[in-house]
Amino acid sequence: MTPIIRIENLWHVYQSDTSTPIEALRGIDLHIHPGEYLVILGHNGSGKSTLAKHLNGLLLPTRGDVWVKSWNTKDDHHILDIRKTVGMVFQNPDNQIVATVVEEDVAFGPENLGVPHDELRRRVDWALDVVGMTAFRHRPPHLLSGGQKQRVAIAGIIAMRPEVLVLDESTALLDPVGRRDVLAIARRLNKEEGVTVVAITHFMEEAIFADRVVVLHKGQIVLEGTPREVFSQTERLRSLALDVPPVTEVAQALRSLRPDISPDVLTVPELVYALTGKLPPPVHERDPFAEVDTSHLPDTYTPLSPVPDDLSVEIRGLVHYYMRGTPLEVEALHGLDFDVGNEEKVAILGHTGSGKSTLIQHLNALLRPHKGRVRVLEYDLTQPKVDVRQLRRRVGLVFQFPEAQLFEKFVGDDVAYGPRQLGLSPEEIRERVRDAMNAVGLDFETYKDRYVFSLSGGEKRRAALAGILALRPEILVLDEPTAGLDPQGRRHLLSLIQRLKEEWHLTLVVVSHNMDEVAELADRGFVIADGRTITSGTPRDLFSRPQVLYDLSLGIPQVTQLMHALADAGMPVRRDCLTVDEAVQEIGRVLQEGVH
Amino acid sequence: MEEFELLRYVTIGQYLPLNSPIHRLDPRFKLVAFTILVIAITFTATYIGNIVLLLLLTGLLILARVPIPYALSGLRPALPFLLFLMAMQIAFYTEGFAKNMGVCYHLLDAWFIHATTCSVKLALVSAARFIELLMLTSLLTLTTTTTELTHGIERLFSPLQRWFNFPAHELALIITIALRFVPTFAEELERIMKAQVSRGADLGQRGRFRFIQQTKAILPVLVPLFMGAFRRAEDLILAMEARCYVGGKGRTHYTELHSQWSDYAAVLIALLLALIVLLTPWPW
Repeated sequence: MTPIIRIENLWHVYQSDTSTPIEALRGIDLHIHPGEYLVILGHNGSGKSTLAKHLNGLLLPTRGDVWVKSWNTKDDHHILDIRKTVGMVFQNPDNQIVATVVEEDVAFGPENLGVPHDELRRRVDWALDVVGMTAFRHRPPHLLSGGQKQRVAIAGIIAMRPEVLVLDESTALLDPVGRRDVLAIARRLNKEEGVTVVAITHFMEEAIFADRVVVLHKGQIVLEGTPREVFSQTERLRSLALDVPPVTEVAQALRSLRPDISPDVLTVPELVYALTGKLPPPVHERDPFAEVDTSHLPDTYTPLSPVPDDLSVEIRGLVHYYMRGTPLEVEALHGLDFDVGNEEKVAILGHTGSGKSTLIQHLNALLRPHKGRVRVLEYDLTQPKVDVRQLRRRVGLVFQFPEAQLFEKFVGDDVAYGPRQLGLSPEEIRERVRDAMNAVGLDFETYKDRYVFSLSGGEKRRAALAGILALRPEILVLDEPTAGLDPQGRRHLLSLIQRLKEEWHLTLVVVSHNMDEVAELADRGFVIADGRTITSGTPRDLFSRPQVLYDLSLGIPQVTQLMHALADAGMPVRRDCLTVDEAVQEIGRVLQEGVH
Repeated sequence: MEEFELLRYVTIGQYLPLNSPIHRLDPRFKLVAFTILVIAITFTATYIGNIVLLLLLTGLLILARVPIPYALSGLRPALPFLLFLMAMQIAFYTEGFAKNMGVCYHLLDAWFIHATTCSVKLALVSAARFIELLMLTSLLTLTTTTTELTHGIERLFSPLQRWFNFPAHELALIITIALRFVPTFAEELERIMKAQVSRGADLGQRGRFRFIQQTKAILPVLVPLFMGAFRRAEDLILAMEARCYVGGKGRTHYTELHSQWSDYAAVLIALLLALIVLLTPWPW
């Protein structure tokens, strides 16, 4: 079969005036075949996004060649043919939508190609149908969720009828619901329409469905093969700063007891079948594109696990409206309950639009309750005269993508911004900045005079975190602290947060939709949906009743999923294991008992 | 505490989604009729002529089902300015300017104030014109979506593009992208303000006239906002290139504008009315 894209000895060097040139790609050879689903995996800085931009001539090779069909991307005359053949969807859904109405945006690409009017209409109808956005065709894009915007962006590309669809980290900024929808669309286009898909990502769970996986590291291809071939090399992947599916890890650990288990197990049903000879009953998940429905969930809420006595935050029956007093008024929170014990670690789980952002903005009085009771430390937020400045000093709120709020030239100055606002003495400010920077792993002496823009993405995020820690808060609130980070960055930040919590005696509130994170980090979790509390409890208690989490499309950790499936298939195992080690031990115990 | 809720103040492109003959007009024709009426308003300097125009516009607003108070709600912030201007015109208007206003009678001559019938007329006519233009603009924006407006502008000016290389398509695209990102930047501004307040910023609580301090205080908001805007612009360029955008040449249009007899009729009626108002020798 002739490849649709041929990459031959591709080098890409970024020239820069201030520093040494960066070799982002170093001799890539890759053929992409028509109809295949190819996943390119790699951590941040591995060169995978640079590679993507070579596929449709957005970047041109420093050395080597990229051929799309018979056209070389260096050949100006065929650049439109190339871009018509290779459609590309980017990371940030907001920055690729051009028009003020959904259907007009979908039409933008084909309009550029000069597609005649009747055909144009047909294509827009078809594209909107494929991504399930027909009902939203007359909406302005800013009223859509991130996942919906990304679906519009995909529609805008496929309306050009490309033969190849490149997803350049298109799921990185989406919540689980949005991510699942985008993947469902890509798989459907691949299977039913025969579109070649090239997905660039750092989520290994997105690679399981691929025909072929390519792992990029420091600008070179270091691993290549089917998902089974690639993921069975657990040690190698970990050394490349990538994750392995937990179920594969469990399977490999169990091989000492059951050598018949294959080392390349990728999914829960496979392992269940290998262990029990039976397939587990299917899990009922939400249909793709369906709105999350909470109408069948009970109105009243009772915690699954005991609530601590010594509460730092106590919220009861919180109601909040947006655009209050205008015709556009909406009730965002309808009687929500929430509490955090002193020095407790609490996670808030919920998807986009569930009200979790609105909730955490009450914790430092950015928002005030319209109804209900909110007490944070000794401050009662229903009192209009409460000392808000004092409260904000004691409750540190770190927004999502906090690196976007850095504004000073030098790292040290940016961290010092908060303490300076407090009017402290220079010595005191210096001490606080030093402590905060050291605490987040940015050595004060080395980093204080560095330019902010010269930091890596992960370093910027830690600098922003230091800016809040320099206020010496008692409660630290983090809104999706690991969003957009690759597996290694995520692991580093999580362990950093754990350590901070212990050393600084912090009370911690973390918003997350990553269930593995919740299992690892939290003493208790609150499930929020549709502006109210659905349930709360320890991760063990929450994940042992998984149906609610499936209904809300939040899911549960894969390890817990495996334990449920094994128990349902008749194996007498505990259902509430959270980590790989725990699962291996528990399954091992049952296997050995079976032997004796 | 709504101080951070910025979208509430974004009123650009206010549109009333109603169904009326005016709503259904082709935006190109609507723009032409609008221009004709603007000209009529600008050159009508008589009392009766303006009364006719006011009645006419009221009629059009009723036809468009736009509540008259709503259409005039833009008047309130401009009212002090308008009244001040009228007072100045009445007091200081001298006969030197009144060549074609006929005979002027002195009403009041005291100290430096010289009010004449002509200056009163000028003040009243100016105020009437202001209100007429406001009604007309409201009529246009309340019955036409921004998308329709930009399409209208693009198609109207496209002959100019062909003949004089006037960038009609680019102009329309710029307007569209600007409108597209207004809500995005409003949200972003809100988020940055909240983030900086959370790390101890004290936004807008300093003395009103301490400009340097004030400017310094908003730097933590402005710098991230602009950096974000540049990043978005770069992303948008890549996304547009990936979607084969190479300028207006050879593009087709998803939304085709179809003119009907009613569109021609509307322009014709606007033209007739304008001529009648302009050419009739109104006595006052």
